[in-house]
Amino acid sequence: MKYSFIAPRSKHFISGEMRLSLFFFTVSISMVVFAYLFLVYKTVDFKEHHTSFSKTIKQLEKSASVLEEKIVVIEAEVKMHEQISTDNTVMKESIRNLFDLVPDQITLTRAELNEKSLILYGITPNKDTYEFMLQAPLQSIFHRTFTSFYPAENGWYNFVSSNYLDDETAVEEAE
Amino acid sequence: MRGRINHQTLYLIFLSSLLLVGILLFSFFFLIPKGKEYRLLRLESKKEQQMVDRAREHHRTVNEKLEKLQAAHAKTIKAYETHFSPQKFTKIHSKEFQNLSLTEIAMADHNGSFKVYEVNATTKITSPESFYHFLEKVNKSEWIIGVNFPIHFEREGELIRSSFTMKVHNHEEGKREKEGH
Repeated sequence: MKYSFIAPRSKHFISGEMRLSLFFFTVSISMVVFAYLFLVYKTVDFKEHHTSFSKTIKQLEKSASVLEEKIVVIEAEVKMHEQISTDNTVMKESIRNLFDLVPDQITLTRAELNEKSLILYGITPNKDTYEFMLQAPLQSIFHRTFTSFYPAENGWYNFVSSNYLDDETAVEEAE
Repeated sequence: MRGRINHQTLYLIFLSSLLLVGILLFSFFFLIPKGKEYRLLRLESKKEQQMVDRAREHHRTVNEKLEKLQAAHAKTIKAYETHFSPQKFTKIHSKEFQNLSLTEIAMADHNGSFKVYEVNATTKITSPESFYHFLEKVNKSEWIIGVNFPIHFEREGELIRSSFTMKVHNHEEGKREKEGH
């Protein structure tokens, strides 16, 4: 015997609408929590990166300064090498010019070259030859020139010519 | 009966309100401050990344400059590293001089990153031309050598005896002395 016109439905503690709402609630809460966890993770990650960035920058700067020091040293060395080469060349030309100054009639027996002085020892047939052919050009180069003669056995003259360059700065100060 | 609210609806409203309040509280007390911190850190991180890039670029530029410099002046750099050998020097310049002897005087002045030492050279040359050739060859030699004053020339029969000092600039000498101390 039936008491109802419809078939009985199974009853649930939570209805279908309620389940749908709870599902959306769970999704919403999960999204918020996920967003928070993402922010926490990224914050920690940024902090770790900050430490590694600082370390990397320090290492790069240190390495670059070492390289820069090497560059400075090499540049100084190259400059010095160029200066030394130039000095050697200038010295060669100076000595060549000095020997070119000496006329054939005069024979040098000794030459002492210093930075600011030149002392020549030699033999000249007579004083005039020395004075005109060697002393004049020497006087045009050096600030002070002193010469002493003493007779040689063959009637010629031995001479000692001392020539000095004054310190340019000292001369300027005196003026 | 029409005005009555279903107890399920009431339950839903209560839960929705709870969720709204919970999310608002969570957002104000946790999510927003964390978001602000994140934004600040992201900005800092960008700046730091730019700084790292700049430091890398600077390092690369300096390194390139050094490599170019080393390539351009390889001979000079090698010359500073080459140990000075008096025997080899004498052998190389035996053509210019009939008799060449070197005497090491002493370690001389400190000059930056390298040391200088002096060598006394006594030579017998036939003409000043030999000395000029010697100076030209010294500039092309495998060492960095500077010929210094005083230079003495003295006639000895048909020969010219010359004596002068030279400074050999060398890293090795400096390193050895440092190690010695």
